Amino acid sequence: MKDYQLAWKNLWRNRKRTLITAASVFFAVFLALIMRSFQLGTYQKLYRDVIESYSGYLQLQNSEYLDEPGLDNGFTVDDSLIVRLEADPEVTAVIPRLESFALAASGSRTQGVMVIGMDPGKEHDGLNLRNRMVRYKLTPGAVASIKSEVLPARSIKLLDLLMNESYTNEEKLLLDLGLSPGDSARYLPMLREHTSFSNGYLNPSDTASAIIGSGLSEYLQAGVGDTLVLMGQGYHGTSAAGLFVIKGIVSLPTPDIDNVFVYLPIEAARWLYAAPGMATSAIINIRNSEDRELFRTQGRLNAVAGGELKVRNWKELNALLLNQMEADNKSGAIMLGILYLVIAFGVFGTVLMMLAERRREFGMLVSIGMQKHRLAKVVSLEMLMIGLLGVLAGVAASLPFVFYGNARPLRFRGEMAKMYEDYGFEAVMPMLQPDSYYLWQVAIVLLIIAVAVAFSVRKIFKLNVINALRA
Amino acid sequence: MKGIYRLATASTIVLMILPAMTEPATAQQLTAKEIITKADEKFNGEMSGYSVMSMTIVRPTWQRTVEFKSWSLEDDYALTLITAPAREKGQTFLKRGNEMWSWNPAINRLIKLPPSMMSQGWMGSDYTNDDILRESSVINDYTHSLVGEEETDGRLCHKIKLLAKEDAGVLWGHQLWWVDKEEFIVLKAELYDEDGYLVRTERGTDLKTMDGRFIPSTIELVPAEEPGHKTVLKILEIKFNVKLAEGFFSQQNMKTIR
Amino acid sequence: MITSIAWKNVWRNKTRSLTVIAAVTVGVFAGVFSMAAINSSIVQRIDAAVNEELSHIQVNNKEFRSSGDLRDYIGDPGAVISRLEQTEGVTDVTGRIIVRGMASTSAGSSAVEITGINIEKELEMFSISGRLIPGTGSYFGSDTRLNSVFIGEKLARELNIIRYIITPGSLEQLSGEGVPASVTEKLREIEGERFSTEKALTKALAGLLAMKEMKQYGLMIRESAWSYREGSKIILSFLDTDNHQTGAAFRISGIYRTNNDLFEALSVFVPEAELRELTGLNEGQYHRIIARLSDNDLTGSVTPIIKEALPELEVLSWKEIQTDLAMITDYINQIYGMFMVIILAALAFGIVNTMLMSVLERTRELGMLSAIGMNRRRIFVMIMLESIFLSIVGGFAGMGISAAVIGITGKTGINLVKYAEGMEAFGYSANLYPTIGADFFIMLTVMIVITGILSAIYPARKALQLNPVEALRGE
Repeated sequence: MKDYQLAWKNLWRNRKRTLITAASVFFAVFLALIMRSFQLGTYQKLYRDVIESYSGYLQLQNSEYLDEPGLDNGFTVDDSLIVRLEADPEVTAVIPRLESFALAASGSRTQGVMVIGMDPGKEHDGLNLRNRMVRYKLTPGAVASIKSEVLPARSIKLLDLLMNESYTNEEKLLLDLGLSPGDSARYLPMLREHTSFSNGYLNPSDTASAIIGSGLSEYLQAGVGDTLVLMGQGYHGTSAAGLFVIKGIVSLPTPDIDNVFVYLPIEAARWLYAAPGMATSAIINIRNSEDRELFRTQGRLNAVAGGELKVRNWKELNALLLNQMEADNKSGAIMLGILYLVIAFGVFGTVLMMLAERRREFGMLVSIGMQKHRLAKVVSLEMLMIGLLGVLAGVAASLPFVFYGNARPLRFRGEMAKMYEDYGFEAVMPMLQPDSYYLWQVAIVLLIIAVAVAFSVRKIFKLNVINALRA
Repeated sequence: MKGIYRLATASTIVLMILPAMTEPATAQQLTAKEIITKADEKFNGEMSGYSVMSMTIVRPTWQRTVEFKSWSLEDDYALTLITAPAREKGQTFLKRGNEMWSWNPAINRLIKLPPSMMSQGWMGSDYTNDDILRESSVINDYTHSLVGEEETDGRLCHKIKLLAKEDAGVLWGHQLWWVDKEEFIVLKAELYDEDGYLVRTERGTDLKTMDGRFIPSTIELVPAEEPGHKTVLKILEIKFNVKLAEGFFSQQNMKTIR
Repeated sequence: MITSIAWKNVWRNKTRSLTVIAAVTVGVFAGVFSMAAINSSIVQRIDAAVNEELSHIQVNNKEFRSSGDLRDYIGDPGAVISRLEQTEGVTDVTGRIIVRGMASTSAGSSAVEITGINIEKELEMFSISGRLIPGTGSYFGSDTRLNSVFIGEKLARELNIIRYIITPGSLEQLSGEGVPASVTEKLREIEGERFSTEKALTKALAGLLAMKEMKQYGLMIRESAWSYREGSKIILSFLDTDNHQTGAAFRISGIYRTNNDLFEALSVFVPEAELRELTGLNEGQYHRIIARLSDNDLTGSVTPIIKEALPELEVLSWKEIQTDLAMITDYINQIYGMFMVIILAALAFGIVNTMLMSVLERTRELGMLSAIGMNRRRIFVMIMLESIFLSIVGGFAGMGISAAVIGITGKTGINLVKYAEGMEAFGYSANLYPTIGADFFIMLTVMIVITGILSAIYPARKALQLNPVEALRGE
């Protein structure tokens, strides 16, 4: 009979042995896939968060701007160019922005700020402002009135620590107060009543209104309805100075930006900086943000933009972040390597034991006339089949976990969650859906099996039949 | 007036405002230090006045002109009112000693300018906070030596090297001045950093008599390491010896001066 | 008796034993080494923060950190200092004057925080003096009658104090380092030309060299062109106690390099006396008093004691000032925990499989033992003892190898310089020196050995289910 048929029969002759060996491969593949999926999922989420809250996937800029950001390296917005860019099948919108520095003053305090002139009418402009509007604030007054209400003792204690904190959503408010989602029905209405914050969003026609970060609002002691002075240097060194009414307060993820960001409608920013019709960058929203497609889109758009303007991708825009993530990724790869080391030994151990167990059998076969090379071939086939079996099982078993972990990521609770949120990250650890990394892990495991096969073949050829029979 | 020229000429160019008589006969025997001292002393002594100037900021791809009126008392006080362009008209700047305030009618705010605000250059020009506010003395902070005579713009000049003293609070390593032998006007100055590299060149041109004094009516500031950049100051009108009291240079006056 | 049988069994089948031992060894190595690598990065950052930047405990005037006002100094520093010195765990105490101002050169200006220090005392408490870039001077070593200042590399670069010039000396240095003559010849074209920024130099190089040459030698060329004139002048300006702008010329005593760009750009150090003279602050007026503890771990217990003793002042530990450091330690521990779970799982599976297979291989032998009267319990114990021996031997071997590898890489370091830019922006070193605490080391090893032992239970039980008659009959 054919070799592979023999191999297959052999597998099922001793089910226990087959299953044990296949199991070691199965575990190897399964664990490796799960671990890598977590790692890659977390990185992807991090990138996504940054991209979607500030830089966007693609930006149109003056070619000098990346190296030397500044108003003088802005560009005049050419409507016909915008139309041509938006005509590309991958592009959904092109939204200009004007950013620069200024000194903000209210009352006696001044603070250096970053002014962002944006389009309030356009959603998905990368800034996600609407979701960051403060809805609840633990003002001293609110804290005082809440204390007289019924709340767990721990929450009352936390209230003092959280004085003046602003919240954009209820979940975080509950989390910070140490209340579980189950308690929400009990406490939320009361909390809402005391801490609701009246806020307003910008209209494109608002010529003299601004939205500022909650940290900035605290520092300048200026809230909704107060006047904000912005001054600095505008385009070509012209003086920039203007008065703006604070229309709304947002809570931005990290203190770095919460303390210094001011948002104006772009026309107001253009007036302030004497930069009519200009922008420092334009966010380009695209349908397919997957890298390969993204670079192709970038190439096409660059051809359209041409000359002085360049389309930059998120990697170029976030070079520092990329550098950090790569460092992190490398350490992640090392961890994976260590895992493989352990796994490899597991597989080898099993294979070695299997060979030892079948010594007598091999000796018998050779003594009755089977040629060694044929034996080797059959055994190799057996091992490959087992390997494939284990791999398929491992991949299959991992898929439900991976898909689930992708759709409904693992959520952190308690301290860990708080830490993530404080940094402006969602407290989750998502898994990456099946991708090329699947192929890599499988390839590596197959490599391990191949080495095991090679070893077995060698053992067979060195087999001393007499000793084997005596085993 | 010195205040204006502080604004206009950095801490280095000294405009010699001499009355008609000088000491031409003994000019050749003056030491370098004496030449500089004369220029500086005259300058200090006569510096109360009023001027109208225009400043053009030149860059490779654009240029912009700002016009202003300026009042000053000695080296210590100056009040400047921007008259053009329309967007900046009405802004005033007050210098008292080494501090500066700014008043902007558009925002109705009086702000004391922190040094960080000025690090980009006043009104976008090549004049820095250091040029306008730092109190360094061309006489006391440098040692002087006469290195020769050269003709500049058709006029014979003393060429003087000013070497910054070790502990002096000046940014420059040394300066080279070309001082007109007759009128003691600084026609050209080159400013070098401590490593001996040229950082800036300043020139006084368009010599003419204004309000009875023979002065350069155009001053050009050229940074050496930035091609295509320069700032050009033109004196449109000038009145020396205008009587001004210290009280004139007040925050109140910033808001009402016309 | 069983013990000796078990022991002999272990050495009877070398292959099987070695496999299990190897698996445990690898497991121990994996766990310990990865922990060491991760640990070291954080430990380095914390040490840097504590020894170079913050020390352990800071005492400030309550208003000072937000106002930055010169006049918000500590009321009675003498009392504060003695109170701190009396506190258990505190080894050194010093006071600092802190002034916010601008640093200027002819190339520009930059905002800085000027710290007036007691030079001798700070040599004992901070290691920043050791971060001096060789060849840039000293930590206030030279005796000049001028004001001196110790600044960071980032600031020096920003103010163009550090320049880039290709000199004949640098060309020689490059040839000595193995750069081919074809490249150095091209460099002659920009010899003597001074570049204010690294970018400008890179631009010029890009025009002269081919892409490949840039990639290979770019970094070396940049390093050889790095130039700084000792004792360069810098002007520091700030407000004095009368709220007037003042300032003076300072000579750079030396330039330091840490892994923290932000710190380098902002922090400049001058002798206390010089700063007092210029600002008008009196003898004994300090803005900040700093205490050093004998051990990082005492921070948690000592800080509250000091807070209670000095209620009218702001007392902060390094953890409170650099909250992200404290958080990252916790975060990393959690991630590591998850990783270890996976490694232990892999190890367990591997050992279970190997042992199961080994039991299968010994069916005849075990059947024989059973037939001659060894009862089940004894067989079970025998197999378990074998596993215990194997795991312990593996454990020791693993400890030995890990210790060796950590010892070596701990000295040579693991080089991640390629990612230096991102790491150093946050203050992390790009060179890892794996270290691990002895307690962790032992704990991990014990955990892994136990895993090995526990993994053997299932196979051992399986062995008991063997039917001696069938087993004897063989396959």
